[in-house]
Amino acid sequence: MTEKIDLSQPGVQIKKSCCFFCHQNCGVLAYVKDGKVLAIEGDPSHPTNRGGLCCRGNIALKHLNHPARINAPLKRVGARGSGQWETVSWDEALDDIAAKLAKIRDEFGAEAVATAGGTQRTDDWARRRFFNLFGSPNSFHNAHLCWIPTFMVETAIYGWCPFEIDLMNSRCMVLWGHNPAASGMPEMRGISDCKENGMKLIVIDPKYTESAAKADIWLPLRPGSDIALALAWLNVIIWEGLYDQQFIENCCVGFNELAKHVQQFTPEWAAPLTWLDADLIRESARMYATRKPGNIQWGVAIDQSGTPSGAAMHARALLRAVTGNLDAPGSDLLTGPALDYITDEEMEANEWLSEEQKLKQIGSDRYKITTWPGYGRIAELTKATWGKAPTAEWMCEAHPPSVFRAIITGEPYPIKALLVSATNPINSYGDTKQVLEALRKVDFMVTCDYWMTPSAMLSDYVMPIACSLERPTLTSTYGCSDFLIGSQRAIQPMYERRTDYAFWRGLALRFGQDEMWPWENLEEAYYYRIYSLGHNVSSWDEFVEQVRYHFPPREYYKYGRVGFATPSGRVELYSSTLKELGYPPMPEYIPPVENEIDHPEVAEKYPLVLTTGCGFMPYHHSEHFQIKELRYLLPDPYMDINPATAAELNIKEGDWVWVETRKGRMKSRANLTQGVHPRVIITQRGWWYPERAACEPELGGCLEANTNMLTRVDDEDCDPIGGSWANKGLLCRVYKVEDSDGKAGE
Amino acid sequence: MTRYAIVLDTRRCIGCHSCTVACRTHNNLPLDIIYNPVFTNGPTGVFPNIHTSYMPMICMHCANPPCVSCCPTGASIQQEDGIVWVDENKCIGCKACVMACPYGARTPSPHTGIVVKCDFCADRLAEGKEPFCVQTCHQRARIFGDLDDPKSEVHKLVNTEPVITLLPELGTEPHAFYILD
Repeated sequence: MTEKIDLSQPGVQIKKSCCFFCHQNCGVLAYVKDGKVLAIEGDPSHPTNRGGLCCRGNIALKHLNHPARINAPLKRVGARGSGQWETVSWDEALDDIAAKLAKIRDEFGAEAVATAGGTQRTDDWARRRFFNLFGSPNSFHNAHLCWIPTFMVETAIYGWCPFEIDLMNSRCMVLWGHNPAASGMPEMRGISDCKENGMKLIVIDPKYTESAAKADIWLPLRPGSDIALALAWLNVIIWEGLYDQQFIENCCVGFNELAKHVQQFTPEWAAPLTWLDADLIRESARMYATRKPGNIQWGVAIDQSGTPSGAAMHARALLRAVTGNLDAPGSDLLTGPALDYITDEEMEANEWLSEEQKLKQIGSDRYKITTWPGYGRIAELTKATWGKAPTAEWMCEAHPPSVFRAIITGEPYPIKALLVSATNPINSYGDTKQVLEALRKVDFMVTCDYWMTPSAMLSDYVMPIACSLERPTLTSTYGCSDFLIGSQRAIQPMYERRTDYAFWRGLALRFGQDEMWPWENLEEAYYYRIYSLGHNVSSWDEFVEQVRYHFPPREYYKYGRVGFATPSGRVELYSSTLKELGYPPMPEYIPPVENEIDHPEVAEKYPLVLTTGCGFMPYHHSEHFQIKELRYLLPDPYMDINPATAAELNIKEGDWVWVETRKGRMKSRANLTQGVHPRVIITQRGWWYPERAACEPELGGCLEANTNMLTRVDDEDCDPIGGSWANKGLLCRVYKVEDSDGKAGE
Repeated sequence: MTRYAIVLDTRRCIGCHSCTVACRTHNNLPLDIIYNPVFTNGPTGVFPNIHTSYMPMICMHCANPPCVSCCPTGASIQQEDGIVWVDENKCIGCKACVMACPYGARTPSPHTGIVVKCDFCADRLAEGKEPFCVQTCHQRARIFGDLDDPKSEVHKLVNTEPVITLLPELGTEPHAFYILD
């Protein structure tokens, strides 16, 4: 019954490819014959996954050969969203797209063209290169919600983001709004290994996650109250004398100011705000401070809390500094940028964008750390110390909700074209109604994707993009790691699929940028980037086959040699860079975006506290719902509700329910679980239904179970520092779906 | 002599179902057949004092497999290395083995009428590789090897960790060993 494929037959080659269904880029061995992939498996020699693959990684061949994949450029022929397309050639599509963009640039300026990006399966340095040369500063991702403000705040106070953790020497790991057991499998393996060696695990999460199930201490805090917990930890560590005096004396400035500032934030103060027991706050703070070395692994939750986000990530960052858990063995490492190969930032041609155009970047007047004003300042500092800057893609972007608003209102100026690459904004960006209105309204839209997503359905062109087996990959943590891992194409792209690089280069050539794009394909560009490593190889493929990994020797306490890339050259517990940008130099307490104290009238109608968008197996963001080998594991969306609350609302396990905020509502099934506080509701992200009609008004059922129907993106809800909007810490109510109900979005 | 066995370390299992998907995808199984489901127990208790554990299941490749002795046609076979498998050419789909197996490890295929089950990926073992579910387990919660080889990890774990087997009272002598959370 099971057809076995003979992989030992003559002519089968093994290609060193990778998976990119999340950010880990696990190694994949692809067995290839005659340009076809016969089989894949995890690469046992790969340092990330050591042969393992998760649910998603295992379905790579189903993804490659799926009948719903876009295989040729599609040009809209009917009304927008009518689902009527004709197949055209790449040349024809690119000629027409370039002509449209040129016309918009002539009439409205280059800044009237914006681009929305997805999650690291693209070479967005190429996108930025095109945009810089084209003249528009308005490129963006969901960056403001995912790591980027954290990176920039941490870089502001200690000169780089210590995302590289020295896990195997750690004695205490803090997972703060992070669930690697459902999102980063290789990382979870490392944590389990360390736990066997006695490492303690603290999990801070409103949800009893797969990772929390393995924790020594679980802190189920009120969604959006992370800032109160972080300030209380600082209070305990400083005022119980648990700080690292030597590190503070030798490496930091501003300790006295910070000590005075956090004196007020006692565990007793934080307890009612976080819904945690004051003694548990104390115990966990002591554990992190005294079981050194320790790590605070980055978690996305703080980045998604709206107004308190920036202050919370700032306070979290200070915890590493006061405990000396920075760049010491077993702690969080300040590796700095890669000095021995060409980084993403160096490929972006940022110097080609004029100062005048940089100033026009949407959102840069408000959210300064993640746009040109703050990025420019921080890049200057890191260049002075490290010699290089963080990637501008991701770290320096237009504010997405403000761009969607500009499309609708024409303020501060009109946005007329949107180039969408590897993202499905209707499901992935905040406040779906606003996004949908913008996508319906924008004059010209192109989507580069594998699938006909709800957003692609509204496009003028849909371009077929090559997936991980059809393209090489250079892994370097958003262009900011000091290491790199290379992977090769298993096969050339099938059908008319091409890489996103081919799309940007194809456009660039039509704008006369020929000289700036000497690399005909990604292999040539990657080879150019790694040439300086000095390996005796003549191509990217040879590099992957013979070398594949570049890990520079680990150097602890690097700051002793290079200093910290801050104005004072020290870790700034009182941040002069934040102050210079007009922000508090030390983190203030900011309450959750919606809460019962400041908004009693809202709380009366919406009595429950909501957190949206936790990652969960087997999906990633808004992907993979069409792959039946995964969908059978979880055919419907679920929300978590405590059984006591469910009983009050007459909701039983598996019932369809609405979750509603002031913004809108979404429909999912009820999962009754003791794993959440009785007042907390947790919804899943990403859901749409590829089996539904791929045209208006259904648009793949994209409004029905869409968690972003609930989220808030108005300026008053956004973090003033980094621009994060509010996915967490909202108020909601829950009720059963009745037959007479209308649809979501009504 | 070789005696294959598997250790399932539930301290490390996170209930992600990667093993299930790997088995199904690479063995080309239809959606309604699962050789190795993973069950989530919990959260048990009352918030916030709760606990969850994960229970990965697989054919136990018993030393005394009741599914073999009950087979009227000799289709259900136990190899010398312990692997229990079904000869598709001899199986008549009578389901006696399905009834006999106390672990639910056998499935009558609605597509072919015969009974199918895990064979520890015998074809991969012949190539010197591990079963798909073992290789794919990034958590190293599934450890496979030769129990008779004193140098193997399964031998070490079975002899040093407090392993249990499921339903030992039945005398089936399962060769899937569990380390409990």
